[in-house]
Amino acid sequence: MKKLSTWQERLIDFCFPGESDWWLTVLRTGLGLGVILYAVSLRDDWNYLLAGTGHGLISRNLGEAILTLESHLVPTLGWFVTLGTRFGLHEETVLAVAWVCLLTSGCGLLIGLASRVSAIGAWFLHLCAAKSGGFVSYGVDNFMTIGLFYLMLSPLPDRYSLDWRIRKLRSRDPQLVGFWRRVLQLHLCAIYFFSGLAKCLGSGWWDGSNMWRALIRPPFNIIDPEILVRWRYLFPIAGILICLLEIGYPFFIWNGKMRAIWLTGICAMHVGIGLTMGMYIFAFIMIILNLAAFGPGLVSTELRTYQAAAAGRGS
Amino acid sequence: MSLGKKRAYLAGLALQLFLIFSVSTRDTFWLLSNSRTVVPEPSKNFWRKAEQTASTPLAQRLPRSNPVRQILNGYLNLSGIEVGYGFFAPNVANSYKLVFELRFPDGRVEYELPRVANAASVLRVAGLLDQIGRTRSEAFRQTMVRMLADAVWREHGEATMIRAIFGSVILPSASEFAQGKRESYQFLYAYDFSVSQNPTEQSAP
Repeated sequence: MKKLSTWQERLIDFCFPGESDWWLTVLRTGLGLGVILYAVSLRDDWNYLLAGTGHGLISRNLGEAILTLESHLVPTLGWFVTLGTRFGLHEETVLAVAWVCLLTSGCGLLIGLASRVSAIGAWFLHLCAAKSGGFVSYGVDNFMTIGLFYLMLSPLPDRYSLDWRIRKLRSRDPQLVGFWRRVLQLHLCAIYFFSGLAKCLGSGWWDGSNMWRALIRPPFNIIDPEILVRWRYLFPIAGILICLLEIGYPFFIWNGKMRAIWLTGICAMHVGIGLTMGMYIFAFIMIILNLAAFGPGLVSTELRTYQAAAAGRGS
Repeated sequence: MSLGKKRAYLAGLALQLFLIFSVSTRDTFWLLSNSRTVVPEPSKNFWRKAEQTASTPLAQRLPRSNPVRQILNGYLNLSGIEVGYGFFAPNVANSYKLVFELRFPDGRVEYELPRVANAASVLRVAGLLDQIGRTRSEAFRQTMVRMLADAVWREHGEATMIRAIFGSVILPSASEFAQGKRESYQFLYAYDFSVSQNPTEQSAP
């Protein structure tokens, strides 16, 4: 019985560490910028990719109908379009308003103004767009949803937000701040472990052929294969390194000494993906999630300052 | 924070991790049963059964209309954990290409690709072509190609017929490339669309 109690205490200590909210600042500003980049990058194609039947590249209605079979609870842009129609608004207008609201939410997150509302708005609108455009969504949409979902539930605002500085709003519980960081950390561990495991199952990651194919496969082929082929002897090493970095992530990222090495390696991998495959937003979001989850521990935490600030301003 | 509150948060965390683990495990088993991997071919049946077992706690074996499945699916989508993380794994597949051949009343023939305005959207269209190429459902493939052809048709209203040619991009290995071999295209399917007419399909074996 005593053992069980000790075990429970340890679990609670692990899951509720008193934390500085520095990681939350990284996550909020990073995802805010990510949402802005996402919206701006899709500006010219927004209506074309998300229009209903007969107006866009593919029918948003078909994607939404398939999604509804899976669950009626998943929000889509179709909800807004239906609502807009009742007020006499055209589909194009509703989609444009949704885009502006998404961009505004991103800006709100970046500067930390109405942080909670901005986080909920960004999560909801991005989710609607990602689900309505399910046929044209890819990995980055999933990771943005994950990041925004945790951000929305985390104890906002953080110390560096305008809400804290101007509106004097406070989040007072460092343990809750720490809990949500743990959630993000554990989720990232699962992501990299399973991603690494799946890669290890393919022989192409061990002999470097998958590295080569990933880099020359359209539309990721932004580096001339004539240049790449000169480095072909390095591909097996790079492939094995990626497998080890990913599958080893949950084991080494918790170790104080290894954390810096692993975090640097993972971030370097994402920088590489961004630069060599043109997946800039994907790389950016992954780096932000990693830095928010494991970055602040590398430099001295400012927990005391945070607690003093929270207590002082609160009194 | 009170102990009761902490326990409630812990229960939520446990449920979230359980769902992440279940989805990821299911998708890993799917890769093992459906892809070319380092595990022996005869074990595929075992992994197929394992995938079905892993789908059970996710309510995937219940009817689609079942409220438990609907709620669970809803939550998985809302939190972004409805799919696993096997990116570019276990192997990097070939990509696909779709070319439209437009025929005009004056005998002119023009060629078009699915067109988007910027690079971020190009990645998305490539993902769409991958889905069309990988699906086993002919109805789905035909519907998607038809919609893409409609988008091209709206920009070329005077065209009388569109032939959609769908193919796979065959990538050379690094050593083959060094010896002068370049990427090639393998014809997979072709669909003819004309005004007010259902598509007719031609496909390679």
